[in-house]
Order: sequence, then C-alpha cells, then structure tokens
Amino acid sequence: MKRFVHINAKTVEEAVSCLNRYGGKGSLIAGGTDLLGKMKDMILPNYPEALINLKTIPGLDYIDEKDGLFTIGALTRLQDIADHPALKDRCYALAEAARRTASPHLREMGTLAGNICQDIRCWYYRNENNRFPCLRKGGGRCYAIDGDNRYHSIFGGSVKKGCYAVHPSDTAPALIALNAKIITSKRSIKAEDFFKVGVKTTTILDSDEIVTGIQIRKPENGSKSAFLKFAIRKSIDFPLVNAAACISSAGGKVTAARICLNAVYVKPYRAVKAEDAIIGKAITEENAAAAGEAAVVEADPLPHNAYMVQIAKTLVIRTLLACRE
Amino acid sequence: MGSEEQTRMEEMFDNLRADKYPLKEYTYIGKRIPRRIDGVVKAAGQAVYTMDVQLPGMLHMRFLTSPYPHAKIKNMDTGKAEKLPGVRTVLRYDDPEIPEFAPISGHTPTADEPPLPRIAHFQGEEVGAAVAADTETIAEQALTLIKTDWEERPFNLDTEAAPLQDTAIANLEMYPDSNHINEGLLDVLELGDVEKGFAEADKIFEFKSFRRLHTWVGPERPCGVIKWNGDCIEAWVKQQRPHIAKRVISKWFGGIPMNQIQVHCLSQGASFGGWSQTNWNMGGHYCAAVIARRTGRPVKWTFNRREDFYGGSMDEGAYFYKVGAKEDGTITAVWGDSILSNQIYPVFNPLKHLVENTRIPNIYCKHKVVMINKGPTVPTRCEQNSAAHAFTMIFDHVAGELGLDPTEVALKNDGADGHDMDWLNQQKAKRGFEVRDSLRECVEKGKAAIGWDEKWHPPGEKKLANGRMHGLGFTWTHEWDDSAGSSEMAIRIERNDGTATILGMGCDNGVDAESSYCQVAADELGMRLEDVHYNPQFDPGYFRMTPDSSTNMSINGFAVRHAARILKKKILEVATTPVGKSQRGEFPPAFPDAGPEELNIKDSVIFLKADPEKKMPLSELVGASFNSGPLVDPEALGVRTPFTVPLFAFGYHTQTGTYQPNQPRPRFCRQGHFMEVEVDTDTGQIIVTRVVNTNDVGKVINRASCEGQQYGGTYMGVGRGISEEVIYDPVTGVMLNGNLLDYKIATILDSGPIDTILIESGMGYGPYGVVGIGEDIATLIPTLLGPAVYNAIGVRINDFPITPDKILTALGKV
Repeated sequence: MKRFVHINAKTVEEAVSCLNRYGGKGSLIAGGTDLLGKMKDMILPNYPEALINLKTIPGLDYIDEKDGLFTIGALTRLQDIADHPALKDRCYALAEAARRTASPHLREMGTLAGNICQDIRCWYYRNENNRFPCLRKGGGRCYAIDGDNRYHSIFGGSVKKGCYAVHPSDTAPALIALNAKIITSKRSIKAEDFFKVGVKTTTILDSDEIVTGIQIRKPENGSKSAFLKFAIRKSIDFPLVNAAACISSAGGKVTAARICLNAVYVKPYRAVKAEDAIIGKAITEENAAAAGEAAVVEADPLPHNAYMVQIAKTLVIRTLLACRE
Repeated sequence: MGSEEQTRMEEMFDNLRADKYPLKEYTYIGKRIPRRIDGVVKAAGQAVYTMDVQLPGMLHMRFLTSPYPHAKIKNMDTGKAEKLPGVRTVLRYDDPEIPEFAPISGHTPTADEPPLPRIAHFQGEEVGAAVAADTETIAEQALTLIKTDWEERPFNLDTEAAPLQDTAIANLEMYPDSNHINEGLLDVLELGDVEKGFAEADKIFEFKSFRRLHTWVGPERPCGVIKWNGDCIEAWVKQQRPHIAKRVISKWFGGIPMNQIQVHCLSQGASFGGWSQTNWNMGGHYCAAVIARRTGRPVKWTFNRREDFYGGSMDEGAYFYKVGAKEDGTITAVWGDSILSNQIYPVFNPLKHLVENTRIPNIYCKHKVVMINKGPTVPTRCEQNSAAHAFTMIFDHVAGELGLDPTEVALKNDGADGHDMDWLNQQKAKRGFEVRDSLRECVEKGKAAIGWDEKWHPPGEKKLANGRMHGLGFTWTHEWDDSAGSSEMAIRIERNDGTATILGMGCDNGVDAESSYCQVAADELGMRLEDVHYNPQFDPGYFRMTPDSSTNMSINGFAVRHAARILKKKILEVATTPVGKSQRGEFPPAFPDAGPEELNIKDSVIFLKADPEKKMPLSELVGASFNSGPLVDPEALGVRTPFTVPLFAFGYHTQTGTYQPNQPRPRFCRQGHFMEVEVDTDTGQIIVTRVVNTNDVGKVINRASCEGQQYGGTYMGVGRGISEEVIYDPVTGVMLNGNLLDYKIATILDSGPIDTILIESGMGYGPYGVVGIGEDIATLIPTLLGPAVYNAIGVRINDFPITPDKILTALGKV
C-alpha cells in the first residue's frame, strides 16, 4: 500500500469540500471493506491521494421511521439493517439482503451506502497490480470476453459495449424493488436511476457528491417483498445471482410488481418483462414460471456463463413465489 | 546400550507385529483431555507467528514476480529501485553471490535449484530480483520501479494436451524435449494380468474423470527471517519440518556447521503440506541470508497473499479407467491411465489404493506426469489425493453400473495386495492382532448413523418435499499414518518442581499433536498431565516427525514412549540408590530400603507399591536447582539438601512403514465416509446435509484431536469437492482467483452436521495399536461429492469441483 492522506471529515460539507480539493484523486471511505482491498491489491492505475473518512461525521448512522417513511443513514451498518424489526417486517427484501451480505465481520463494518457504491466484480479488473488495464480503467479492451467469463454479465456489456463485469451488491436490487430513493448531498435519486456504468464509475453521482441516506416509503398493506441470493458458499460470498421482488396484490391478483436481479449485468437489472408478465395475474407456479422466462428473455450469455441464465430465471420464480400471500 | 527398554525400542523398528508392550491401564490416553497446549494462546490471539517477528534493524524483503506464465529476463534495470529512499539492497539474478543453482530443496533432498531464477515457468513465480528495504511497503514500491525487459515464451496450461507434439514446452531448461517427464520412471503400477481379469468379467465399462487444480492456501502468508550472529545463523522458519531447513542451511555458503545454526519454528495455524515442500521456501531464506550478511541486519522475507496460491495439489489432471466386474460386484480387473501435472515427486500412482486395500487381482495403471506453466504440485493437505480420487470413482462406478449398494461392493472387494479377507485375517492373526473386520465395523456404524438402510435408493429417484433431489454417497479406503520416518525425542525432569519437559524439534501444525505426546508421557511416567509440557517452538536439536509425511503418532508416539519408559526406570533407580558423597556426607536415597521394582509413580508421586502411604512427590525427589554458594549454605545450618543426578532420557524410532512398493505390513485398518446431499436441479446447488466419518484409528490417543481431524477434513473436503479451483486466464496464463474471496474454501456452514465415529480395533503397528487420522478425511471427502450427487440426480459428473454450471449442464438446463 502506498502512502495517502487521511482526513476525518466532521460534516458532509467538509467531506464534499475535500472531494473538490483533491479533484478526483480523493476517495471516500466508510466501512472500507471494498476500498481497502482494492488499494492493497493495487488494482487501479492511479492510487488515491487522500481518503476522506465519513465515519467521523455524526448523525449518519440511524434507522428512522416516520410518517410511513423509513430513512436509513448512509453509515448504517448492514448488520443493523438485518436486525431491525420494522425493516424485517415491512421491508423484508432489504433486511434479508443485508443479512445475506458477506460475513458477520464484514456486515459489522460495511455500510448500506458503501454496499450500493461498491465497485464492480471482475477478476480481470481486480487482478493485482493493474495486471489487466481494461476498459473500466480507461484501457482498450475487455479481457473477459476471450478469457474466463463464468461470473460475468449475461445481459451484454456496457462502456463501448465492452465491459461485462457485474455489479455485486446484495442490497441494490432490494432497494430498487422497494422503490427506494437515494439521498445525496445534492439531490434525491430513484434507486433504479442511481446506477450508471462509465469508465471508473458505477453510479450517476458527481465527483463531489456523497450519499447521505436512503428513503423507503413503507410498502402498503397487501404488498410483500422477498430477496434470494445464490452463492457458492453459505457465508462470505458475493452473489452469483441475486433477486429481489416487491409485489402488491389485491383480490388475489398482482397489482404492482418490481423485480430486480443483480450480479448478472454491469448494473442491477430490473426485470421489467417479468413484472409485466405477472401484473394482473395471481402468483401461481405457472405464472411465476412464465415471469421467470420473461426475466431472461433478453439474456445473451458469454461462452462460460449460460448456466447463470437458468439460475436467474429460477431466482425470479422463487422470489415471486415467496411474495405469495 | 543394554537395557530392556533399549532392546524393545530397537525391536520396534519396522515392527511387523501388534504392540507387544502396551500399557495395562490408561489415565489420559484415549480421553478427552481438558486442555490443548496451544489452545489458550491461539484463542486469545497471543500466539506468535513467524510473520510477527520484529527484530531491531530488521529489513523487509519482497521478490519480483513474473507477469507472464513463461518468460526470460532479457535485461533488468534496477537503478531506480535502488535509489528509492529506504531501499537497502536490490539482489539480482546476476549478483555474484547468487549461484545459478543452490541447495534449496524443501521436503526431500532433490537436485539443486536456482535461488533467484532468471526464467519464469509460471505467472507469479519469484524471479529476477529481491528488494530489501526498511519497510515492506517500500520494498513493494521499489519492485514497481524495476524495469524488466521480458522475452515472452509460448506457454501451456492444459494438462491433458501437454504431452502432445505440437504444444508449447513448459520448461525448456529442465525438460527440453517433451512435457511428459516421467517416461519409464515410476510410471507403471502392475499387479496380475488385466487382460485375464477382463476376460473373467461379466461387465466391462470405461470412463474418464478430471480433477481441476486446487491448492493449499495456509492461513498465514509465507515468510521467514534470517539473522547472522557472527558466523552463526539464526533462522525463523515457517516450515512443516524445521529440521530440514536446518539441514539445508548447513549446505550454504561453503557449509555452516549444524551447531552454528539456530532455528525457530513459531506457531503455525496450519501448513497443509504444500508450502514447506517447494523450493521457494528455502529460496526465500537463501536470498534473505545473502542480504542479511551483506547489510549486517536481520532480514524478513514475505510473500503476499496471492503469492501463496501458486502451485497446488498433485491430483490435477485427467484420469481414464477401464473396469471389469462380476454381476455380484467382485471386481476382476482395473486398467487405468492418468495425466497429472507438475509433480515434483511423481511417485503416487492413482491406482495405488486398489493394491493396498482390495482383493482385486489384476491392476495396471500408467501414470504420466507432465509439465505445464502453473506452479509445482506437491502433497497438498495430503499426497494421496489422486489415489483417493481414483478409488472413489472406480468403486462408485462399479456399484452404479451393476445397480448395487456401494457399501456391499466395498465389503465384497476388501482385502489387500490382491488377496481376499481370509488371507488378510491370517496376516492379522499371524502378527498378533485381534482379528477384526475393520471395514465392516466402519460400514455398520456409519450406515446406522446416517440411516443408510432407510434412505438408500437408486440414483435420481428420490425427490424431497422441498423439491430438491436427495442423494447418498459412500466411500472408503485404508488408514493413513504409517509411512517411513524417524524421530528423536527426549524428556527431562525439571528441578524445583519435578515437572517434565518433552524435547523434540518439530512444528506446530495446528493439529495439537503436542498434547498427544504429553498424554503418552504422562501415562507412561505416571505423572499428572498438567505436569508434562512440550514446546515445539524450541530447538533442542532432536528432530521429530511433524504431522506431515502422513506420519505422526506411529513414529513420534514410539519415541516419546520409549523416552518416558527409560526415564521412569531411571527415576525409580535414583529414588532407591545413594548418590556419591560430599564433604558433609552421603546423599541417601529417598527410599533407602526399597528396590526400584518395589516402587511406582502415580499422579507425579513416587510410592511404595506395598505401602502407598510411603510416598514422595517427584518435585521433592529432584530437589531445587540450589547452588549452595558461600553466602547462604543451608548445609551449614544442618539442613541436608537433596541431590540427584539429572533425570533425562531420550527415545528414538525409525521405520519403513507401509508406503512401500512391496509392503511388508499389509494395511488392516479402514475408514468409511458417508454423505447425504440435496441437489437443487434448478440452480445446480449442492447442499451437503450430513456427513458421517467412521475412522478405525486403532487406538485413540487424543480424542478431541481425532474428532478435530474429522470436522476439519470434512468441511475442507466439501470445499474441494464443490468449489475449490485455481483458475487461470486461458489467453494470458495469469491466475485469476488468487485470493480468499474468489478461491472458495468452504466454511463449516457448508457441510451440515458432521458425525464423528472413532473405532478402536487396535490393528495399527504404532504404539498401543494406533494408526493415524490426519490428512485422510480431507483427501477422501472431495470425490465423495461425486457419488452423492450421482445418487441424487442420476447423472454422472466426473469433473471436480462439481460446480453449479456442471450440474445444470449435465441436466440439460444450460
């Protein structure tokens, strides 16, 4: 690890000011569970000159419930979300996604905002000492296309159509399914609009913008959410595929549906076709299966990851069935 | 030497009989003892590991590694690195003090190797330069400033294709003509006549299996520290057998006398074979020794986490089988062929276990070793991986092809060296063992524990209420831990408190063999367990086997037992014999009216057998380490201080064991393992719901350690079966998953409940009838996933690890 400046920010404004001061060469750090690994392995061509610590900003670690609105501070740790009774009751998909993230130790360190702002997973991108200077580092090509792509995107690429690295967050699809809003130092962004793939970026955040919290409108009675994760190990594993759904029903029929997959595409993949397939219908085995098929109708797997299509389809079916009343 | 125990000690070398001299009763042996020697310090985070060593003025050394799988350094400019503040030395491959070849072999004496090579034969290999700096960070940074002009060479990552004519040669320096390196060298195993055996078969079938590369990955990063004290060298080694390090170091720089080498082998979480056995290990020490001598400062060399992933297990490759069997499950012939990669020791034939513990009369197996551009493969958690893999594959295929219960097929073919159980039982009786049917005991106990008879079903036929397919699997083989080896161990009774210290240089491997030695010594000496201690980190010069080479208790157990018995005799003689005479008179013995045979020791107290009330604690017998100088002399005050000769004894053992081509010791003890799984046919997920380990260990010494091996071996085996694979980029030859996130070692959550069953048949050649339990479970469990998954889904997947993509592909869902 190289030397860097470490700044303990006391306020969000100070943190923003620091980001501006370092002009793209500063990195925010909260739990640090993603950033420190990246720094130790020197995966990027440029090393941050400064780490701006957000943990020293008071008042960003909370879960609040008021007027039918959950507000979760950016620094809230994943374990606290997993354990929160009201979230478990009304925003089950999010609590469950937090519970299934990483390992107990990492959940006690990692924050919700950090989980949605984490960097992509690709063993070429993350190979030590910038061994593969790929598209996401401003390089010329994607190494996964001709290489081993067993854990890469099944829905095509991004960044000049070339990057197939997946977004690995467990909580992101849950937030999208629950129609959450991401509150930043500048604005409020719908969760599904938050993720955007660019060279060196995974979100639409400006270079001086900081996530401060997440808002979720308490789902109405008659709605139910679910989250399922498929990983090789039962603990300490990123998802091979995960899926979240939030379903509102009336009279035995689905009135509204939001379904989101992750780890299958360069950003969370909202399965709109699956939503269309289930809205207006009862959640039966048959209808769920049709929605599962619809979810992957646009899949275009790489040579080594066609099996992920089957898993994605299965998880959509099962999350829907889990939302049955 | 003469004494009775001395004679017995040597009688045990290559002993071909049951233990003739066991103890009559056991106080600690076989029990669940209340402590493990390394338990508190490790649990409390107080244990000191080699990586923790900090010496005044110590430099930190890191190696340059190759970015390419096969490349030669054409030119190297280290100028910028040398100028970086904090850098003290950059050692280059062309340094006058770096010989082209040096004695740096690890486990076994092999040819000299380049300590700092110029040519890399796998990506990530330590080549060309080593930087020593004030901190590890500065050394790291300096490496990035080295400008290297590489000549990239064609490379080859495919084991099966490696012997073909048109593939790239992986190591032009050592094997310029072909990647197939063991033609005619330990490459064939043959018993009987396979053609005749196939002619007798009712059914003949052929199949193929693959084991992808998996590796050792110890919990600690590889490292070492070297310090010169004048002409003496002091080394902190992370090594399975530190005495080997000492032997290797003694050959360096024109020779260093053994008595000028001090080796420390601190705590180790584990080593899993691999690391100690590669030349990199001693190569690291060699380069550190050069720099330490040049700079006059201690040098610690380290690898980073990723650098510990290169290399792997000796079972990587492709296996081909042709098997003939009768309808009743009697196997008549097995033909095999295998292509395995990068073995430093190409000696373990994949069909070896068929010879060692079956009655199959006709066996032939060709064993090809090929070089590819990945790291060396060495015994990784065990050297028997390929044999256990092939054995499980063959037996389960026989059961599957014939529609038989695999436990019945096992019992039908149990035997040894092509002979049936009658012959084997005669061998047991002839050697003085109680004749027991070890495999049958394992099978019966294991079946009962897992509910085999109620749950067994034909493949692919049992769907559970949760929608998953249910599968059961079984495998078996012989015991472990009876190979060649030697050990010297000593025991000293300490002055002042009469406690006993066991002396022997080994290493802490995490399995707590040390507590077992204390149990043996305590029972043999009649001492309380808490009065016996062993510190493996101390180098008293005596070497012992550490729990590697598949041998621990069967060798070290003898050494410590002999030492204890000789010492006990000595204690009782001292207790009854006067010692010399000082100016103030003689030192009468503690029991002046008794002979040694009239005394015994229990709970660290010597007593008269005929009158146990006449007793003396050992501490009183040995007395204080009191030097009665001129100022305070109790004797002047009329107090007689006791005096005894130093109480010390050593024991030793050497044996050839059973791992030999013409085994003088047939294997009698068996183990059987049972696995229950659920397979999700829509996701390809395997959920291991229960594992039952049955191990005939002959005699339990340390019950918690035995069970620890079963738990640890099972969860590790499951990981190797379902997820562990070192993955290389096919285009660049670069390792892709050299970290603990992407290289997926299972956790205990991935195994389901584990039933640990220990059977004590007494049929081992070790002391008290022991055989070992280390290594074997982790070696057998990985391939057991194959039978269990086959029983669940009715489709064979012979490609390990069995990952979800393979299951979904086999089920036609991809």
